[in-house]
Amino acid sequence: MILKKRKSSFKAKKKEPENLKEENKKLKKLNAVKTDLVSISAHQIRTSLSALKWIIKMFLDGDLGKLTPEQDTLLRKAFQGNERAINIVSELLLANKTENLEEKAYDFVKLDIIDTIESCIFDFTGEARSQDIEIIFLKPNGKEPFVRADKEKIRVVFQNLLENAIKYSNQHSKIFIILKENKDEVEISVKDSGIGISAEGQKRIFEKFYRDLTAQKKEVVGSGIGLFTSKQIVEKHSGKIWFESKEGEGTTFFFTIPIYKGNK
Amino acid sequence: MAKTILIVEDDNFLQGLEATKLKKEGYEILTASNSVEAFKHIESPTKIDLILLDLLLPEVDGFMILEKIRDNKNYVTIPVIVFSNLSEEKDIKRATKLGISEFMVKSNFTLDELAKKVKDLIGV
Repeated sequence: MILKKRKSSFKAKKKEPENLKEENKKLKKLNAVKTDLVSISAHQIRTSLSALKWIIKMFLDGDLGKLTPEQDTLLRKAFQGNERAINIVSELLLANKTENLEEKAYDFVKLDIIDTIESCIFDFTGEARSQDIEIIFLKPNGKEPFVRADKEKIRVVFQNLLENAIKYSNQHSKIFIILKENKDEVEISVKDSGIGISAEGQKRIFEKFYRDLTAQKKEVVGSGIGLFTSKQIVEKHSGKIWFESKEGEGTTFFFTIPIYKGNK
Repeated sequence: MAKTILIVEDDNFLQGLEATKLKKEGYEILTASNSVEAFKHIESPTKIDLILLDLLLPEVDGFMILEKIRDNKNYVTIPVIVFSNLSEEKDIKRATKLGISEFMVKSNFTLDELAKKVKDLIGV
């Protein structure tokens, strides 16, 4: 009797990997459906937001008649709100895509990281200047470090961190970007002297859709996707991402990427 | 003589807005909502100076239309601006490989910016 029992439990154990395989297959299928659904919905939403953007712009440009100052102010606010919605949809699409990407879907190349950072800084100069924020880039002297990275994706990480630093900084402040070369990796940090992250937020800041209370209080619109996506991307590069923050004093985000050693 | 632009866009509302803006800039506009209508225009005697091409279209998509245009020596030189809400790198790479003048993501541009790009490419 005992022997029989043992036999059947052995059988059950033997079956388990098969069941797991089946479950895994089902989950993968479900995940693919979810990815497609998000992608299709986002595309449809983007189409509607594009139409809205173009129409509001036509009003603002006076193509449909002269606006009163009040109408002009309200439509400008509507335009900005629509732009934020477009950004959120773009972030959502990126997160949806990044979350499901295998490492083989990354196009790792030999990348001039300084050039990439400088071009991102250039893109954000206008936004920083409008708030009288100075961006200071400190880089090592001498030979430029090349990293092994997917250019577009690592750009997304840096853009997310710099955009956050600007959004959550106080006016008339400075943002420091520091690039350090260690033995096998480069370490990039983005330091602001803004609102900082709350104690609760520090535990959850990389969670998908999480938005810290301090950020919400500042009334900055965000999706809670940027840092989640950044973490996914950095980890796919075999790098690390972390931060140091004090509420009310500012935040520094750090991330590392491996140095290029002739390996694709 | 005004330059002629073919707009291939299946969303009638967006198509109308694009057409209105470009007409206002002084271009002759032809429109198509699918590949059949598009090729009717392309194969007609009217000279098309530029094609504004959406990618997500019913049945035959924009990539296939682009491929067909580039495979035909009569149309291979027509400038094509892809104007789509697809924005993934793989889509941009695929369209670029087939031969386009510009890839513009609709939600990232205003119609003024589109008109400026058209003007840069073919003049008025």
